[in-house]
Amino acid sequence: MPRPRLPPPALFLSLAAFLVLVFYMVPLILTLWASLTPVRNWDIAQLRQFVGAENYRRLFHLIRFDPDVSTVVKTTIVFVAGTLTVNVLGGLLLALAAFIIEERASLGFRLLWFLPRMTPVAVFGLLWYYFFYPQGTLNAILLKLHLISHPVNWGQDVLPWGPWSIIIFVNGLVGVSYGMIIFYSAFKAIPKDIYRAALVDGARLRDLVFRIMLPLTRWHLIFVTVWQLLSLLTTYAHLFVLVEWGVVEKWHGMTWALYVFETAFGSAVNDQALASAAATLLVVVGIGLGLLTLRLMGFERELGAIRGEL
Amino acid sequence: MQGEGLLAGLLGSLKPRRRRRQPTEELPLASRAVSYTVIAALLAASLPIILSYTLLVELSFSASFIATPFEKTSFTLENWRLFFQGRLAPTAAQIYTPSYIRRMILDTLIVALGVMGVVVASATPAAYAFSRMNFRGRGALMRFLILLHAFPGVALIIGVYAIYVYTYRRLALGLHAGEAALLAYAFLYVIVARASLEIPMSTWLMKGFFDRIPWEVEWAALVDGASRLRVFTRIMLPLVKPGLAALSIFSFMAGWEELIYVVVFLPSKAPTLASYIHSQLSGGAIETAYLPVVAAAAVVYLIPTILFFVFTQSLLVEAAEGAGVKA
Repeated sequence: MPRPRLPPPALFLSLAAFLVLVFYMVPLILTLWASLTPVRNWDIAQLRQFVGAENYRRLFHLIRFDPDVSTVVKTTIVFVAGTLTVNVLGGLLLALAAFIIEERASLGFRLLWFLPRMTPVAVFGLLWYYFFYPQGTLNAILLKLHLISHPVNWGQDVLPWGPWSIIIFVNGLVGVSYGMIIFYSAFKAIPKDIYRAALVDGARLRDLVFRIMLPLTRWHLIFVTVWQLLSLLTTYAHLFVLVEWGVVEKWHGMTWALYVFETAFGSAVNDQALASAAATLLVVVGIGLGLLTLRLMGFERELGAIRGEL
Repeated sequence: MQGEGLLAGLLGSLKPRRRRRQPTEELPLASRAVSYTVIAALLAASLPIILSYTLLVELSFSASFIATPFEKTSFTLENWRLFFQGRLAPTAAQIYTPSYIRRMILDTLIVALGVMGVVVASATPAAYAFSRMNFRGRGALMRFLILLHAFPGVALIIGVYAIYVYTYRRLALGLHAGEAALLAYAFLYVIVARASLEIPMSTWLMKGFFDRIPWEVEWAALVDGASRLRVFTRIMLPLVKPGLAALSIFSFMAGWEELIYVVVFLPSKAPTLASYIHSQLSGGAIETAYLPVVAAAAVVYLIPTILFFVFTQSLLVEAAEGAGVKA
């Protein structure tokens, strides 16, 4: 039966390759290109005009002189550093705790902490809307405990740490399960005999943690840190609802990624050229960190090979 | 964890180990007292999660607005009645109808099922090729997929929307497409665009499942003269059913929970549960929103997530146990 002869790998890869081409590569090139054009209000005919580095000049000017944009930069730094700490250390603590306690309780807790990640963004945003808004749970509890005398709008009025704490808290709850899952599997992957030998030698829990579990999983720690750093720089869905719903003050709840989105899609701004320039900066950082992750994963493979000889 | 990411990590770590656990494997790492202290600490740390989800469900059944799960309120089904009657914002001028609610749930389902279909159809064969075939650039392409996954999505969405604007205008002005056709196009576009974002990680995930099937199974069929395509559809696909199930569930959930793409691409006359909740709370809408009804909508929206937790535990075990062949 005569059929068009496509080499099998190309045949199997074709659909995925087509989608990646149309929805990753072409949009990426378009975005990079748009940063060199004056495109605004989605008037894509303007993509034909070339303005050179004009948008980048505007962007750096804004960073230096516009207090709102410099707040965005500060928020990004605080948000990434704070949430990264929560995600890595929190994930480590959760994994340790889940590893120590008995399996049934452990599974329950791991599922519970996985829940925020599987919850739709709109629902998760709603949960914390009820929690943080002036008539919400937090104020009700604090009022009852007589810690405050009247409701406080934490996300809007307590600047800058009110909104900063809220965005770190909400994204931390979503992100912490990533570290938890990876560290937990890493602890499980350490051969049982090593624990057993240490216990026979009279090791205490502290020794197990600091002498065995943490040293043997240090590459996982580095991997999770870099990967989470990357994710936090680029994430914006939860921040979007927190800002749009007024849970947090606009500029103190907006990281660089959300700034890109709001600049491109916000009805008040609609400046795709500027947004593309801001996005390009993010892409450069993203590719750098992505390459670093790949290097680290190479390290991990080597570590895996050595582990076989133990 | 060699780049298979969270999904594979979840499969590995969530499965209860009872099948493989032997009596000698019970290691008392900590004393009873320490163990109970840790459980208590975990419980305390989990309190915000437990409280907030409890409040949401309670609020959807309560007659008045409550701020904490402990407040006294009377049980009512009124919010649910309002929700299913489409009276989403009782004080707002806008009148909804029951068909609006059905439409909303249906739209969410269309996006979720669409994303699932596109992801499974594209990532499965690609994963098979990466797992089983040697071709030039294979390693580089696999690394490239990881880079793509790490890519700032917000940088892509500008370009993705520009293409949408261009094609949409061509359809509307050039081809004079009708309103229904344009709406169908919007759905198609949001589904395919959103699904594409899942391809890199899904391919890695499925490759892991293909990797576990012994090459001999396939080789036997190839020796007997079957083509690669035939081997793939008749032999490999049935063997990776647990993987397909896991991939389907994860990609369904990705489509189901999507907010940004839905808000950006779909017109407001085609709301999903996400865009409905968003519309109730964004801007000044909160003035007229009735929060207990929004809570009912959110509980409906949470149902697949809850089903995921109830049912996939056993499925995840199966998936993690690997495919049919135990060589």
